[in-house]
Amino acid sequence: MNIWESFKIALSSIWNHKVRSILTMLGIIIGVAAVIIIVALGQGTRKQMTDELFSTDKNAIDIYYEYIPPEGEPETFWQEPELTSEDIQTLSKVPGVKAVIATNQGFGTMVRNDEQGEMQITGVGAEFFSAKNIQIVEGRAFYAADNDGLNRVVLIDTIARKKFFKETENPIGEIIDLNNNPYKVVGVYESPIPEQFRNKDTGEMLMPRSVISMMFGNREIEQLSVIASDPEKVSETGKLAAATLTEKKELEDGKYSTNSFEDYEKELNKMISLLTLLIGSIAGISLLVGGIGVMNIMLVSVTERTREIGLRKAIGATRKKILLQFLIEAITLTSLGGLLGIGLASIGTIIVSQVTPIAATVSPLIVLIGVSFSALIGIIFGILPANKASKLSPIDALRYE
Amino acid sequence: MKLSEITKVYGKGALEVPVLHGIDLTIEDGEFVAIMGPSGSGKSTLMNIIGFLDYPTSGTFELNGEKIDSAKESALARLRNEHIGFVFQQFFMFPRDNAIKNVASPLIYAGVSKRERTERAKKMLGKVGLEDRMKHLPNQLSGGQKQRVAIARALVNNPTIILADEPTGALDSKTSEQIMKLFIQLNEEGKTVIIVTHEEEIAAYAKRIITLKDGLITHDRRVKP
Repeated sequence: MNIWESFKIALSSIWNHKVRSILTMLGIIIGVAAVIIIVALGQGTRKQMTDELFSTDKNAIDIYYEYIPPEGEPETFWQEPELTSEDIQTLSKVPGVKAVIATNQGFGTMVRNDEQGEMQITGVGAEFFSAKNIQIVEGRAFYAADNDGLNRVVLIDTIARKKFFKETENPIGEIIDLNNNPYKVVGVYESPIPEQFRNKDTGEMLMPRSVISMMFGNREIEQLSVIASDPEKVSETGKLAAATLTEKKELEDGKYSTNSFEDYEKELNKMISLLTLLIGSIAGISLLVGGIGVMNIMLVSVTERTREIGLRKAIGATRKKILLQFLIEAITLTSLGGLLGIGLASIGTIIVSQVTPIAATVSPLIVLIGVSFSALIGIIFGILPANKASKLSPIDALRYE
Repeated sequence: MKLSEITKVYGKGALEVPVLHGIDLTIEDGEFVAIMGPSGSGKSTLMNIIGFLDYPTSGTFELNGEKIDSAKESALARLRNEHIGFVFQQFFMFPRDNAIKNVASPLIYAGVSKRERTERAKKMLGKVGLEDRMKHLPNQLSGGQKQRVAIARALVNNPTIILADEPTGALDSKTSEQIMKLFIQLNEEGKTVIIVTHEEEIAAYAKRIITLKDGLITHDRRVKP
């Protein structure tokens, strides 16, 4: 008798007790489904959050001002120190710094012909393009002279180009209207922001940050970040840069700090791992309870089928074959439960993906692990009943009423 | 087969219950033997030992001149599968399998392919006169028909010995007669048939009657040539 025969006997035995089998499998089904959904959700959340957090360059690290009130005094009104191009020079000389990115933000209504849209405007310097590896699709990037000379020029992204210009039109050199002021388009760029976080309706534009400062009245440098030449040392480079800037500015009631993505990522991973562990252990307990349920039912089944076992022994089944038959039955039961759990989890993740922005997917690896693990539960909890069955003496078994 | 000084003791220590006290018995190929005796005489225990369902406490057991190492469970299972065809008083069927599958079941453990199993099972069902009941489930068969299925199952492995424990105990006299005639036919075809019974009329079909009392053979009569 081979494994296939045992498997067929096991399947028919499970089929003959449909309701009981389903109830027995329930623990395994819920356990496996829970594990898979949690893992899928964890992976989806991690991807979602990292995408969101790291929509910018991974090698870049933000430097921000942190106000520290003098000892014993209450926190009062405070202002961030002004940053200048001199500070950028200082930062770019810090060892390990590849480039410094200084930006500010503006917001305006762009009008051209009949089209109108609210535009997010980022004020940048010439260094921004190489540091961020911006793809110029048409025209040119900014020159240093655009910033220094307060040239009223803009670059629009590909989305804005599609909205405000015809395919056949050449936008380069065209004048657009922004908050009732004319600006000249000098180039079209591909936004580095991942697609799902872009403004899909109107797009975005870049402007020399000095022009933003002049036209919108805000500071020339609002955000500062450095790009490390060694991707492994982003955090260290950032800290060094922040310390250098603090020293140079001779700050008394504040300092510059970094908020590295690395730290965020670590925090995030810790949180997700903790959550996964927590729900994973609940799922684990469910699987354990499910396994005990399987063992319980298998023990009942052995008792119920004492005469069948006796008969099988009388017609030539060895202990090993009886053991194998019941073990395979337990494994089939739990594996089937595992498969049903995977099915349930797949439906669950599809629903989650549709009602929440988390793109949870059931990976093939998880399916494989799920089935193997439930089969393992079958082996662990099936061995005791199978052993009991195999040890029955044929005479006693046949005499059993 | 040759049994020498076979004893069987159940239990241990103070709870020891001796059942067989030293059985010497030789059964040649092709014999038709009835083992008789009142309940408690040890006839069932003797049948279990002959059928390799149990092993003796002491004594030697030779089959076809070979000594049986009776301690090994897997060896006993193989001997049962190859040499013995069992027929029980309560029929013992797999209730959810049809007649063909029930008859074919010993062949699963002999490692026979499914196609051959079905073929041989059909042939055996034909032999016991159940060609038209092949697809029936046990609960769709009468007692006599069930016993015929059981006999077909006992025959399917082509064993040398058919061992029947009160095969007519649950049947009416007319059906019993048909079943016993089937055993006579099998014996005439060369099978060794051993029947354990307490009924004189059933034992009368055999050629040799062995009577047991208190774990010993008291009579061994050859009643037919």
